Amino acid sequence: MNTVSLLQGFRFVDSFFPAGGYAYSSGLEAAVQGGAVRNSDELAGYVEDLLCGGMGRREAVAAWVASRAGATGKPATAIDVDHELDSMKLGRDGRLASRQMGRQVIKIAAEQLEGKPVLKAYRSAMEREETPGHLAVSLGVTLGACGWKAEEAVAAYLYQTAAGLVSAAMRLLPLGQREGQRLLDGWLPLIYRISRDAKPRAPLSSWSPVQDIYGMKHGQLEWRLFRS
Amino acid sequence: MLAVGSSKFKARHRSKSSLKPPTSNVFQPSSVGRVGNLRLEYGLRDGRTIVTKSHATSPWHFLPTIYLDDTGQAHTLLVNPSAGLVGGDRLSIRMALREGTSALVSTPSANRVYRSLGKESVQTVEITLGPGAILEWVPEPTIPFRGARFHQSIHVQLAPGATVLLWDAIASGRVARGERWAFTSLENEIAISTADGRSVLERYHVAPSQDGVGLAEPWDYVASLFVIGDSVEAATWTQARERLAEALKSVEPAVVGGVSEPAAPGLAVKLVARSAPDLTMVLDRLWMAVRGELWQLSVPALRRY
Repeated sequence: MNTVSLLQGFRFVDSFFPAGGYAYSSGLEAAVQGGAVRNSDELAGYVEDLLCGGMGRREAVAAWVASRAGATGKPATAIDVDHELDSMKLGRDGRLASRQMGRQVIKIAAEQLEGKPVLKAYRSAMEREETPGHLAVSLGVTLGACGWKAEEAVAAYLYQTAAGLVSAAMRLLPLGQREGQRLLDGWLPLIYRISRDAKPRAPLSSWSPVQDIYGMKHGQLEWRLFRS
Repeated sequence: MLAVGSSKFKARHRSKSSLKPPTSNVFQPSSVGRVGNLRLEYGLRDGRTIVTKSHATSPWHFLPTIYLDDTGQAHTLLVNPSAGLVGGDRLSIRMALREGTSALVSTPSANRVYRSLGKESVQTVEITLGPGAILEWVPEPTIPFRGARFHQSIHVQLAPGATVLLWDAIASGRVARGERWAFTSLENEIAISTADGRSVLERYHVAPSQDGVGLAEPWDYVASLFVIGDSVEAATWTQARERLAEALKSVEPAVVGGVSEPAAPGLAVKLVARSAPDLTMVLDRLWMAVRGELWQLSVPALRRY
């Protein structure tokens, strides 16, 4: 990847980017309230399982497909996988969170990145309600259009998700900055392996039933800090 | 929008192992009892739902329709009198419910899947619901034995006004003998599409010895309930969601479950349960909540044990 591509893509992965990720916990808040995640070790287990069995076979594959669509200028492929992802995200809060963040990414990417018609085409489809605009897809299309390889786009998506979960955990659990960084460091080999293996060899799938349940339970929490 | 039930969707997203209905070789001796097709069509007569067409090849066995109450709803038992599925078995069910019909489909016992060192055991279900039709699909759980390889797909296409309640549960194994998460692989795909193309899709592939089962490991049952239909009022869905949430809360901590609104109009429930009695209890409470809110009906007694 050349440096210009790297810098163009960095903006969309950076926590400074106004996607609103700080407002979402991907079900972690419900898991903490339900007693399933009480400390750093249980957080590690929760996130690693989510990355391996859930997002690693669903969002990661969608991001891979979308990145190739962005790189080759074929928005239709991204739209197809976007719909499939939408159908598979059973929990309302998580589905709407993913769409909200994805819409922010593609709106700014299509507006500010010149000479990439695939971004404008995907944004137009989203604005016409012809595609949901999930984060994995929007980010994948954007990074692919910036010149990132598909596995790099997947790694960026997973890293951003993992960092978001650590950030949420620091507000939900007695977890410090150093421990958060230690967890992220420990997940890097896993993120590398998933991104390397994300090339679609089978349809999107997902096996993280416990995390899915807590994602669904979030809507029934009596008090909440997060929107998912 | 690309509907899950559309041919384009299926062509693109179906797993590599083909799930085409096993229409060929049905009458070859080697296929008898191993490639079974069940075809059922439901229609209305004098306000009651009846089976207007039926066709079953071994191991499927077609039993006469049962009426559990005075609503006219037809109850069909899916009977496979063999011991269960073994490697290479390919069973299919195709069901069509005509306009205004109502059917309840269940099984008399768990769906047992035996060890296979080679081919998968495959079960495919294709269901279409006509306008205003209602289907309640409430089978007993699937039990994948040690070394089992099972592939199931259930596709439901709804016409305007149709509603489906679909329950699907898997066991970790033969729990009573301490066999848990010992099957080789289990692929499951449930796809429900409404007439306007909105859809719900659950697809998972579990290979415990290869990837583990993650946080599901301490649980013995994993189940999903989908209630999907485009003619139910939003307020009714809200009330049903609240009742389902209460039902789930009432069985904690033996069961942990969540309910939410999927991308298609309706509700989705996902749960894990400690034991078979816990699973039965939560199903009864969830089913009671849905029937009560959507149709002002109680739950019929299906079990005879």
